[in-house]
Amino acid sequence: MKISTRGRYGLRLLVDLAEHRNEGPVALSQVARRQELSEKYLQQVALMLTRGGFLTSVKGSGGGYQLKGNPEKIAIYDVLDLLEGTITFAETAPGQESAIERVIRLHFYQNLDQEVRKVFENISLAEVTRAEWFTYMI
Amino acid sequence: MVYLATCKENCSIRSISEATGISSGYLEQLMIPLRRAKLVVAERGVQGGYRIARSGITCHDVLSASEGDFHPAPCQDCGRSEACKTHQIWSLLQNAVVDYSKQVYIEDLASHLVEQEVGGGI
Repeated sequence: MKISTRGRYGLRLLVDLAEHRNEGPVALSQVARRQELSEKYLQQVALMLTRGGFLTSVKGSGGGYQLKGNPEKIAIYDVLDLLEGTITFAETAPGQESAIERVIRLHFYQNLDQEVRKVFENISLAEVTRAEWFTYMI
Repeated sequence: MVYLATCKENCSIRSISEATGISSGYLEQLMIPLRRAKLVVAERGVQGGYRIARSGITCHDVLSASEGDFHPAPCQDCGRSEACKTHQIWSLLQNAVVDYSKQVYIEDLASHLVEQEVGGGI
């Protein structure tokens, strides 16, 4: 299980927009410069996040992207679920698996997925932005 | 490893291959790091084959022997990791996965497999 470039860059985009959310619409060129990411790639991710309801786009001069909704209420899990499709260790389709694969999926991978889900559901975008996640590590 | 944990005697590569659906050639490769980590024992001779080395082997033991350390995001070598606020989220994910993998024992998975077979699950 790997978090893809899309998931990682998308989250950095949201954190950057959350940090600058009192400045009106933010141009992706600014985010690209601050985060040292390709603007072209950010455009693709921003489009996906807009369709997913996390961002609003403002057209025209002075336009850009804004966070939609309260970062305290945005769970990291929902962001990654959108960007990654599903976050799972169980990669074999249930119909095609052997008895051994089934046991490992039911008694290991599924629980592992639940653990991952718990971690991400309990962290909000606001906490990441304030770098408060570290309280969970203690 | 789950299959080996169900076996009372040494298993040949062929029987492991039949039970798991993994090709013999690939199994031979998988055995190298598992033997090195002392998770399986190989014996030569007529009654030879592979067996699980001990009880108390966890999923984490097996995965770290065969895959190395688990890194959910390729951020270890990134120069921005000090400044990056998302970087530590991936460490959190890594810790959760490693911690849980250390709690699951191969023999427990094997006992589920035996139950399933007894119940006609295969």
